[in-house]
This record gives sequence, structure tokens and C-alpha cells, in this order.
Amino acid sequence: MMINLNIDSEKNRTYDAIVIGSGISGGWAAKELCEKGLKTLVLERGRDVQHVKDYPTTNLYPWEFEHRNELPFSVQHENPIVNRCYAFHEDSEHFFVKDKEHPYVQQKPFDWIRGYQVGGKSLLWARQTQRWSDFDFQGPARDGFAVDWPIRYDDIKQWYDHVERFAGIAGDKDGLAELPDGEFLPGYPLNIVEKYFKEKIEKQYPGRKVISARCAHLSKPNKIHFDQGRVQCQNRKLCQRGCPFGGYFSSNSSTLPWAEKTGNLTLRPHSVVHSILYDEKKGKAIGVRVIDKESKNEIDFYAKIIFLNAAAINSNLVLLNSISTRFPTGLGNDSGSLGKYVAFHNYSARISAEFGEYLDYTTDGKNPAGGGYIPRFRNLLKQETDFLRGYAAGFSAYRISHSDQSGIGSDLKNNILNPQLGNWGVGSHMMGETIPKETNFVELDPKLTDEWGIPLLRISVDYDENDVKMKKDYLDTMEEMFTSAGFTNIRRNESSQAPGLDIHEMGGVRMGKDPKTSMLNKWNQIHTCSNVFVTDGASMTSTGTQNPSLTYMAFTARAVDYAITEMKKGNL
Amino acid sequence: MIATSCDFTSRATSIQLNHIKLVRADEEFLSQLVEAIIPQSDSPGAKELNLHLFVMKMVDDCASPADQKLFLDGLKKAESVQGQSIEKLQAYLLSLSEKQDVFFKILKGRTIQGYRNSEYIMKNKLVYELVPGRYNGSVKIEA
Repeated sequence: MMINLNIDSEKNRTYDAIVIGSGISGGWAAKELCEKGLKTLVLERGRDVQHVKDYPTTNLYPWEFEHRNELPFSVQHENPIVNRCYAFHEDSEHFFVKDKEHPYVQQKPFDWIRGYQVGGKSLLWARQTQRWSDFDFQGPARDGFAVDWPIRYDDIKQWYDHVERFAGIAGDKDGLAELPDGEFLPGYPLNIVEKYFKEKIEKQYPGRKVISARCAHLSKPNKIHFDQGRVQCQNRKLCQRGCPFGGYFSSNSSTLPWAEKTGNLTLRPHSVVHSILYDEKKGKAIGVRVIDKESKNEIDFYAKIIFLNAAAINSNLVLLNSISTRFPTGLGNDSGSLGKYVAFHNYSARISAEFGEYLDYTTDGKNPAGGGYIPRFRNLLKQETDFLRGYAAGFSAYRISHSDQSGIGSDLKNNILNPQLGNWGVGSHMMGETIPKETNFVELDPKLTDEWGIPLLRISVDYDENDVKMKKDYLDTMEEMFTSAGFTNIRRNESSQAPGLDIHEMGGVRMGKDPKTSMLNKWNQIHTCSNVFVTDGASMTSTGTQNPSLTYMAFTARAVDYAITEMKKGNL
Repeated sequence: MIATSCDFTSRATSIQLNHIKLVRADEEFLSQLVEAIIPQSDSPGAKELNLHLFVMKMVDDCASPADQKLFLDGLKKAESVQGQSIEKLQAYLLSLSEKQDVFFKILKGRTIQGYRNSEYIMKNKLVYELVPGRYNGSVKIEA
């Protein structure tokens, strides 16, 4: 009797596929797997967040926030790490992990910004979506760092097409080899000063471009977007609250409800993944061990294939904690590379200025794309500086509005009620490629554990000399471009922000051609454990300069397609 | 008993405070001070918009303990002008250094913030659009 019950119970906990994580890549894994008929369990360590229903602040006016969107002193004081994130405010704080909720050890300063809920950080992301090109995929081989990517642009192009059509990406066809065009909805226009800068720079500096930033907003939705229940972006720019229109892409508004409609999805929130279970006899993974977040009970789930999409650092943690006789240092870690070669994007410099022309023009409404984007030009065609790789940059212009706030009384009141238009303000920030190195790593703490009995992570990631040189080059180069455009009051701003605050951490479970030096093959499949796929930021061999989420989506859809083909052949 | 319930020096403030101690008399005095900063004209002033309550809320929740103490000290010092004409209140505030006097800096800063973000201003004066639904990057300003 007991045995039968156990068999039944095990059957109830068995699926065709398990996806660990419901963020931007996990949502895609769920959608693709469910659409292809696989009974799929999605495990999410946080609470459920349903589209619209669970966006409590989304329609609030500024005066409806108790502290006008500022966070109380106690919240800021108790959360020095997440409080450094630009999007952490009264309207969005419920979507961020507080510092004490899941501690980690900083061997070097690292701001680990996390969103533990259904949808993960896809609710909070900056929604910038540029494709990689072969200038990025060939980077490590050309410049002699990390290992060669096992794929090239041609391998992933159709998958960019696939995810762009569904997610909805606004952008212009710019015809740039370094930033390939995609399946775009209409791009958002550059404003008059951004356009001026584009013309000026492209004429004066051949090879440098200023384009409209490409972003995951429905500028003009197609049927496939209406079918998801999403409508045109309404230019609110309150995206971090969750969007009632589904105007931007998130797992919550798009992939997860789509997966649910197939009838094949089981979503289990409050499921902290402990490890992936490896069967020594079968020589492959058989399931996932979960600690229920509330009850702290241990539960095992079983499946034929497993997609690991816990977000870069946490995917490292899951593999490092998946110990077996065959893999004593972490699942699939024959190469010893697991947890190593972690990299990020260098966002530590910005520059601002003013422009005193076009003062008879202004803007109206809000631009979800945020303005312009300058693709990488430095060291693009050949090595030309004393540092490797380069940077992309944002560029935006806005009309400054100000009022004299000196004094008190009726003059002050009158001044506040009659703001004056000033110069244009212009600004840019760098997005620099960093070089993955063995010395930038994450590992398990040998003693400390979290409240679910899982070892704490120790993070040891830092900038290096290459980053310092690149930052100086960005500031010098941008200052020169600003000067030649006639901008005034130029202010260079170097921040001392720690790695992690860019929220573009990548690597640790890198792809590569050689199992001796990498974790994953060209299908994001663990070399030595063929039914486990890692398709989030952990899989990245190098970082490029593009915001990475779009590439995670494309890798995920591609890997699911491959996994299903292999399953049909009986190979998994 | 009836008399004490009308005594502003011991009555509780109209909003609950969790970190700092103020009584109804302080609240009343703060309403005079914020009104001195943004007075009523043909449109509502700070008192009518309840900005003294906003200042209290922000000092209570969003100021550091050190700034809370400096604010309360500054409020105590200002009591000499309590209940006097708006001109006298304004003269007193202007005698303080906006840069160095934390009480004045917080009082004025939070009053302006509360004013600009008030429902009245955002609906009637400097209109806030929750759903703009458009972006035009090049709008000619009519002279």
C-alpha cells in the first residue's frame, strides 16, 4: 500500500520537462516547450505575480504614493545593496529582493540585484534589445580571450527573428553589420537634438552611428501581440510597476500566459531549487530537488529534460550545489570552469552637457526607447587601442524645464507654477564589454547556508586594467564628440559603482567547443549531462556590448527546438 | 476633562507618526509655516493642500534620525513666532540659512515637493498625464 502511494506520488511529480526560473529566459523555455506539447513544470522561488492583477501600483498617480515614490529611511538603510538600483522606489520595491532575504558573501564588492517572483526581472528590465553580430561572436577568437564561441550569427539569426516577432521589438532598419536588423515594429523617433547629433557625428566620424534605441515595446502591435492580450505601448514609462497594457515584453504579459493556454503548463511558485538530481546509472539528470519556501519541506520533481534559467548567478549556484559521485564539484563540471569566467558590463561612466540651439523646439509625450543608441565602434574592425574590445553608449536629449526656487512666499509660488524652458540637456552612458577571466568567479561558501539549507554564494568579481582604460577612452571620446557638436557645460561623471549594478552579470557556465574548457556545447547543453540545458546569462562565453536579454531569449528558443528534435530521435 | 480634550498642547496629531513626537499644536504651527512658504492666492496655498501633513509624514518616515532631531530642534526654536502674522513668519524663515539650517531646508524642500506633486497642482496647473499615449520628438514652440 505504502509503495503504491509512493509510486502514485512520484507519478504526480513527473513531467516531460522542468524549467527552473520564470524570468525572461525561463518564460521563453516554458512557452516553447508547452507549445510543442510537453507537460512542463516551471519552478519559481518567489511568489506568483499575475499580469495586471498583481501590479498594485500600476495606475497610481504621484500624489497617491504615501512618500511620493521615495522609500522610507529605514528601507533604504536596511537595504544598501538593492537601494543602489536606479529602479528601486516606492512604486516598484515589491518586485525587488531585499538584502536580508537571500544573503551572499562579497569577497569583492558586488551588487547582486534580483527579482524573486513569477516573471523575475522581466518585470523590471530596461527593455533594450539589440542583436549581437559576428563582431561579438568572433571576439574571443580574434582577440585571444576566454574561449571561442561555438556558434556564429548565422546559427542564431532565425531565432532572433522568432523571438522578436513574438515579443515585439521597436526599431529602425539601420543596415549596420555590427548591429543586425531584425523583425521590427516601427522604431521610436529620435528627437530633434538627437537627430542633429546623429547627422553631425556620422558626417564627422565615419564608422560611428547614432540610431534609435531598439526596445521591447509595442509601438504598433501585430495580431500575434493582440492574441497575447497586449496592446500598443501608451508611452507611460512606468514600466517597473508592471504594465496594464502589456506595452512592453515580460514573462508575465506574454510567454507565461501563452504557455498556460496550451494546457501543458504547471507553475509552482515558492519553490527554491536546491539541486538537479543526477542518476549515476542512467548517466543523466532525472529531476530537480526543491525546498518549499514556506514549509521548508524537500520535494523532488522528475522530468526527461531540464532547462536551467534561474538567472546567471543563481544558475551557477544550482549547478555548484548539484553534487554526485560522478560530479563532485558540480553538475557537468569536468572542465573545472563552472563558476568561473564571470563577466558583466562596465556602466561606470556617463557624461552630460547642455545645448543652446533648437530652443524653439521641444518634445511632447514620452519616448519608451529612451532616445539614441551608439553601437560599438571602438576596436570594431581591428584592434586600434591599448585595451581590448569596446563599448556601446546611450545618447539622449531632453528639454530642460526649470523654475526659480529661491525665496519664499507668493513669488516662489508663482515661479513654481510658471516653469521656464531652458537649454537642451544631453547625456550619454557607457556599456562596456568586460573580459571573462578565471579570477572572476562565484563559488559555494564552505560553511554558511541560507534558511533553506543551501550554501551561500561567495562572489569574487572585479574590474581590471582593461576596464579602466576603456572607461577613460569612453569619456575622452564622448567629450570630444560632444565638444565638436557644440555642446557646452560638459560634465564627465565617473561612478565607483560595483560590478553587478549593471544587472548584466553573465557567464560561469559558458558555452564552448571543447568540453575540457567549457560547460555547454553549441546547443546550450551540458557537455556531459545531455538532458540539462542552461540558456540564461550563465551560458555566455563573452559579454558583447549589447543588453543581453534578447540573446538569452533566442538561445532559449533555439535550445528547446534542438532538445525536442533530440527527444524525438530518442537521444535524450 | 472636556477642556483638556481641546488642549492643542497634548492632543495627538491628525496623522499617526511612528518615529518623531509631535502634538496637534505643532501640526497647527507647521500649517502656518508651510502657508508662509506657499501662501494662498487665487489658488490654494500650502495649508489648504495639507502640505504640513506631508512635511510631517516625510520627516517621520524619510529623514535620518539625525535630521529628525535637527528638524524638531529647529521647530522648537521657531516657536517664538508661532501664531504671528504671515509676514512675521516669512521674516523669521528668511533669517535662516537655506543652505545650513536643516530645519528650514527640510521644511521648504518638502513643502515644494508636496506642492508640485499635489493632486490639485497635477490636475489643474502643471498637468500630469498618467497615460500620454504619444511621443513627438520635434514640436515647434509657438511664440
